[in-house]
Amino acid sequence: MSKFLNKFLYALLTIFVALTAIFFVIRLSPGDPVETVLGQKATQEEISKLKNQLGLDLPLSSQYKVFLIGLAKGDLGKTIFGAKDVKILLQERMKPTIVLATISVTLSAMIGMFLGIMAGYKKNKGFDKFSRIISLFALSFPIFSLAPLLVLFFSIKLNLLPVSEWGDFKHSLLPILALVIPLSAIIMRVTRNKYLEEVHAQWVIVIRAKGLSEISILYRILKVCLPTILNIVSIQLSVVIAGTMITETIFDIPGMGSLLFDGIQNRDYPIVQGVIIYSTVTYMLIYFLIDYLNEWIDPRTQG
Amino acid sequence: MSKKLTKEMKWGGGILSLYILWAILWFGYRFLIKGTFARPYVPMLDMQSELALPFSKGFVLGADLLGRSLLEVLSAGLTYSLTISLIVTIVTASIGILMGYLAVKGPSWLKLGFDLLINLIFIFPSILIAIMIMAVTGQSMQGLIFALIITGWTGYAKIARGESKRVLALTYVEGARAIGIGELRLFFRIIIPAILPVMIVNMVLGISGVVISEASLGFLGLGASPYSWGAMLGAAKTVLLEAPHIAMILSLTMAGLIIGLNLLGDGLRDYLDPNEN
Repeated sequence: MSKFLNKFLYALLTIFVALTAIFFVIRLSPGDPVETVLGQKATQEEISKLKNQLGLDLPLSSQYKVFLIGLAKGDLGKTIFGAKDVKILLQERMKPTIVLATISVTLSAMIGMFLGIMAGYKKNKGFDKFSRIISLFALSFPIFSLAPLLVLFFSIKLNLLPVSEWGDFKHSLLPILALVIPLSAIIMRVTRNKYLEEVHAQWVIVIRAKGLSEISILYRILKVCLPTILNIVSIQLSVVIAGTMITETIFDIPGMGSLLFDGIQNRDYPIVQGVIIYSTVTYMLIYFLIDYLNEWIDPRTQG
Repeated sequence: MSKKLTKEMKWGGGILSLYILWAILWFGYRFLIKGTFARPYVPMLDMQSELALPFSKGFVLGADLLGRSLLEVLSAGLTYSLTISLIVTIVTASIGILMGYLAVKGPSWLKLGFDLLINLIFIFPSILIAIMIMAVTGQSMQGLIFALIITGWTGYAKIARGESKRVLALTYVEGARAIGIGELRLFFRIIIPAILPVMIVNMVLGISGVVISEASLGFLGLGASPYSWGAMLGAAKTVLLEAPHIAMILSLTMAGLIIGLNLLGDGLRDYLDPNEN
């Protein structure tokens, strides 16, 4: 229990430091949102009036206090551009990102694990060599160079899928494909290597000698490999987040990534803070979940 | 070592040598024949040659949307990308080795701080950190390199920490300690040579990571140079319908370099791995 508490406190500390860092860094970086909102023709009076309204004329320490008090009440403030409630805006924008991220991570895990086990099982045979070459290529086209090629092929040449925008299922196919290709290649490689590490272990020889069917042996090896794969997925998570951000800007998807990107470009402080709060908390939740899953799958990692 | 070079190393090394040869040839061409390196190309700004197809109007690979020869812009991008990636990789790996070692040997507050710092950098999307840094430093070469270093050293530090732990527990380190070796000498003469093979493998793989990060920043319009492959891809994306060849040539050139680096890294890893037959 105290271990859980320790982890929880550590997570809180990390979130708090992240928030504080983002709060000060974005305010200290050059660029003034108020001047951008009002345009170049604005007089000094108008600028200071709006600053006063937004509370941006206070010293940084008081702004920080206001921010923390608001946060404790669950209030993330209003956007500087358009004065929308950040919490409502985030809830709107979260959907596409969560859909994209969960579908592509789940799909990649399934494809990657299946192909990885297959490749390991057929080590140095045709399938293994073929899949290694494919994964090498999949890892060599970064998302922003893969996405235009996918658009070129599926939307322009074959005219099968829409290019951008967001709406029904069809619109999500290309972005998901762009995310799944590199991620499943990574998971495939890890699974293959881990499988080859485990397959000659004593316990595998024993259960094989006992006459277990090949399928159930594979299932048991996969179970042993799972913690490693989960760890890789959690490490890749930040890559996935960055990937969705780029994917969202490429395909014009109204998600968290494009929101954050625009927020930073416009210096819309509350938006950036809001996105960072949501993403750090999500990260921490996923870490907890993966830790828990690991202990559940492999009790040796406990304690 | 009596081991034979792996097939992957040969392929990777071969591809990489081609790219390096290309960069050197282009460098020599600019330096010796054109006599200047300050302006890597003369923008033609000729509406006629905009988006020219390959093998037309005197362009081998065609022209981009500003009417510049794609081959020249591509070559400028290659030297740019290689230079930045090499600098960043060497610096990040050095910082990583030092920090990773200190996280094992240093005082306990340093260890805690190290964990927190690594988690923080890990949690923040690296693009966000880079955007922040570029906002402060302006879109300059120094800012870009700084941003890539800040986001890049944690991976090396994690590996260096694990490796230092492993090496420090070995008997010959204990022996060296027993005869009274100094801390600095221990680090430079014993630890570094022992962890260097692993670090080099990761550096080779890391170069391709930097190539990608730099290009993704360029793609988002945050690069420091119009010759960044990412920036060119971002521009090519807008004319995908009219001139798909630009995006294709750019993607393939970049993918080739990354494939070469990844193959060489993977091959080196197998070659140096004592467990592999």
